[in-house]
Amino acid sequence: MIQLFHLYKKFGPNAALEDINLRVRRGEFAFVTGPSGAGKTTLLRLIFGAEKPTSGHILINGINLSRIGRKKLDLLRRKVGFVFQDFKLLTGRTVFDNVALALEVAGERPSYVRKKAHLALRSVGLVKKEQSYPLQLSGGEQQRVAIARAIVNDPLVLLADEPTGNLDPDLTREIMLLFRTIHMKGTTVLVATHSRELLQKTAQRQVILNRGKLIGEK
Amino acid sequence: MKLRLGPYFMRQAIQNVRKNWLVHIVGVSTMVISLLIFGTFLLLFYNVDNWIHGWGDSFSMSIYLKDGIADTTRQKLLSLIRDLPGARIDRIITKKQAFLDLKRALGREGNVLEGLPKNPLPASIEVVFKSSDHSKPEPEKIRKKVETFEGVEEVQYSEEWLRRFEGLMSMFRLAGLIIGGLLGLGVLFIVTNTIKLTIYSRQEEIEIMKLVGATDWFVKTPFLLEGSIQGAVSGFFSILVLYGGYFLLSVKKADILGLALLDFVFIPQGYILTIFLVSIGLGLLGSFIALGRFFRL
Repeated sequence: MIQLFHLYKKFGPNAALEDINLRVRRGEFAFVTGPSGAGKTTLLRLIFGAEKPTSGHILINGINLSRIGRKKLDLLRRKVGFVFQDFKLLTGRTVFDNVALALEVAGERPSYVRKKAHLALRSVGLVKKEQSYPLQLSGGEQQRVAIARAIVNDPLVLLADEPTGNLDPDLTREIMLLFRTIHMKGTTVLVATHSRELLQKTAQRQVILNRGKLIGEK
Repeated sequence: MKLRLGPYFMRQAIQNVRKNWLVHIVGVSTMVISLLIFGTFLLLFYNVDNWIHGWGDSFSMSIYLKDGIADTTRQKLLSLIRDLPGARIDRIITKKQAFLDLKRALGREGNVLEGLPKNPLPASIEVVFKSSDHSKPEPEKIRKKVETFEGVEEVQYSEEWLRRFEGLMSMFRLAGLIIGGLLGLGVLFIVTNTIKLTIYSRQEEIEIMKLVGATDWFVKTPFLLEGSIQGAVSGFFSILVLYGGYFLLSVKKADILGLALLDFVFIPQGYILTIFLVSIGLGLLGSFIALGRFFRL
């Protein structure tokens, strides 16, 4: 599902990633881990197409990101959900509208948008908060809205960058449970985290980065 | 792009205008003023052009006769003139009448004519030519034709000044184009900056839309509509204010300015539509420029 070949990323003279080779199979759940500044976020942003690699290739579901235009990349993003540490929700829109946005940009019919957004919010347990605004919700709830938005398009891949970074242990467990549920339905999930607690309790594959290099796997 | 997204884009554009209403009010006001300056110029140009061409539809000609012209020749000349298209004989002035007219015109100085051994003034025929839908008399051709007639000394007509006016109108037209162009650029600058401000205010939203897979056009279209709305509103109000100004001028002020004798009309529908469409076009173009410069996602 995700294949990285000799991937390099430099920001000016500084190398953020060096010679990364990685393969994540369809339906796999994996963690990308390492200390702060290891290159976890850069790696996820490259996979998402938010950054261009300095060299190397990224294949998502067989599509080489460096060989597609902007428009195709936009269309591909509809099949790759992304969950951010800071949620990236629109505070001026309701919970429902935030989730619906991912379908609206795809030009879906209003009736379909309503149905799917409602289903996504039900799967994260937030149906009763549909008409609330993000700032009226707790951090855990906001992250659940972000997850609902990321999965509303039935993505092939779900990327999450430190999704529990701002949450307490109880909420972290709740969010991780959600990711596992999404994974069980067949979505490939890649979570970047530096939380040792989180990694100790899991038997999932762990890809370890340090100073931009892939130094091992568990 | 899917057509069913039209209402969505329109809703977004109207929401943008509402959210940034202050910026838009400033933008629209400045645009209205610019369009109003141009509209006023257009109104004046249109009326002056009308007046000049109205005057140009008629001209007068003086046909001076040789002394001692025979009656039969005079009658032939008069019938020739009557046969000319659009011609009407306004006045036949005898030598004596011409002398009396001149004396009257000189007033107190009239006695300078007393010492003349004989009346030096020629008899003349004043002819007025009017254009009709079918024909437009050509003064120069008529002059040449009449001048060759036996017994005619000289022919003069009143179109020279008209040519000078037409030259002035060409300059006026050129000035209009320059003013219009400069104002157009000004309007473009205003719209570009207004839309830039609204893009800045929605930068986070744009970023999130792109993250969830919005194409560039999906994000851009509401901004383009926003610029067009600004253009349409500005165009509408500038025409409204221009009409208000015209109404006041034509009803109350015309007498004071001495314009009552002239037919002061509002610009025709074609011009109104042009102002409106140009305004929308400038709004759209301004948004396009703003988006092109600041849409690097």
